[in-house]
Amino acid sequence: MVLLQVHLPPGATLSEALRSLGLSEEDVDLGYGLVAVLPEAGLYVLRVTEEAGRRADGQVFADPPIEPG
Amino acid sequence: MRVLIQLRPATDVVASVLDPRVASTVADVVSDLPGVSLDAAFGPVAVPRARPSAAHGGALSLSPRVEFSLSPEHASVLVRGEIPDAELSTRLSRLQSAVPEVTGIFADPFIQPSGPTCGGDGPVGDWHDVRRLLHASELWEEGHDGEGVAVAVCDTGINAAHVRSALGEDVEVDAGRSWAPPGVPKRPGAYPVNHGTMCAFDVLLAAPKATLLDIPILLSQQGSVQGLLSDAVAAYSHLRGVLNAMSEEHRALVVSNSWGLFSPLGDLPPGHPGNYSDNPSHPFNLIVGSLADAGADVVFAAGNCGRDCPDQRCGFRERPIVGANGHPDVLSVGGVDTRRERVGYSSQGPARLADRKPDLCSYTHFAGSGAVGEADTGTSAACPTAAGVVAAVRTRRTAVQLSPEQLRTQLNRTADDRSTVGYDYDYGWGIIDPPAVLAALGRARGERAA
Repeated sequence: MVLLQVHLPPGATLSEALRSLGLSEEDVDLGYGLVAVLPEAGLYVLRVTEEAGRRADGQVFADPPIEPG
Repeated sequence: MRVLIQLRPATDVVASVLDPRVASTVADVVSDLPGVSLDAAFGPVAVPRARPSAAHGGALSLSPRVEFSLSPEHASVLVRGEIPDAELSTRLSRLQSAVPEVTGIFADPFIQPSGPTCGGDGPVGDWHDVRRLLHASELWEEGHDGEGVAVAVCDTGINAAHVRSALGEDVEVDAGRSWAPPGVPKRPGAYPVNHGTMCAFDVLLAAPKATLLDIPILLSQQGSVQGLLSDAVAAYSHLRGVLNAMSEEHRALVVSNSWGLFSPLGDLPPGHPGNYSDNPSHPFNLIVGSLADAGADVVFAAGNCGRDCPDQRCGFRERPIVGANGHPDVLSVGGVDTRRERVGYSSQGPARLADRKPDLCSYTHFAGSGAVGEADTGTSAACPTAAGVVAAVRTRRTAVQLSPEQLRTQLNRTADDRSTVGYDYDYGWGIIDPPAVLAALGRARGERAA
């Protein structure tokens, strides 16, 4: 999985995001959902498969493991 | 004053002390020394006599060599004791004349390891010392106890019963405003005792009445990996909602983060548009800036990759304060022990997203929560002790009255400077100094009122 950052209209839902990005439910982590980063600017992220990340219209970012310390 | 007393007892007594088959005691060497409290636990130690070597010139030689003799006729014996400070000069002058066996009295000063405190070392002081060093009781007397301030502990979850038991004080966890990543059961305040419980305990050292929000981002499981940066993005999105729901007159949210990225292996390389460690445009770095801009005080551990004794997980060879741990809008916290010396594992700046990180240092490596072992260690402990100070200050100053940036500036300006004069990459601006920051804020408020 990778982190896909996308621009969507403020208040967008996951199903609207999937439709807009041309992705299916199999492409994304449904449990994670659509997370607002800067909602006022319409900036969101999803966790998607690497293949979906390449296909979708958005910016892919690293999602590295984090640890206590 | 602690002293070493040199004695020359009878030859047979010295012979017993020298004999490895005999366990001599202080009482075997000397029955009583007036005014000296002898340490019975310290076994007598034989000391050789040094004298000029006849083979290398006589006593008038300008470069005499010495030889040492441990024969019972020549050797002396050391015992240890304590003389009350008020009687010291009198006792010293009388002891040698009153007890013929006493041949010398020497200071027995406190000695310390020569290097900095490292990961495997035992605790240095305890949590009571930390409260004393933070002047916690003075803060509370002035009403700075964290009451009404929410402190989000982003970690492995909190066990409130353990914190309550270890601290001996009541602990408030706000279940409604807590959050858990998908797949992690939402049990605010009831997670297994671990790293997050230590962090919660350490927040409460300065701000015992703060309200804890339990945010167990490090419990998320994706295959074999526990805890992903995307979980932190989701947690911060939740905290943005928590902050927005606060009225202006009660806006006070501190976010404590004792975690980070240890290895570049899970990241994209610096320069790649999707990189995290060096990239202010990564979604997590964006949301950190956005949460701070909205009024949250975001506090991060600088990390445990200091040059003296780095954590074995450290994979960044240079500039180990990566990503949000060195974000320009966060308070990046290094660690000092209760002797006020930097711990050897505390990461040094500059950071990758900002030059002057860490901002300052706070206390760590003390006997505290008992949640993760003998000591609360790492900048993992320094971060929440600093977050507790921030929460204490926030008790009487909302984010509307004093922005996170203004508060961070005052914390840095009033930190107790260490090492070189002014800013340095080991200690940042110095050690966090709660009375000094409150005094500075009080002056600023008075000036405005005038």
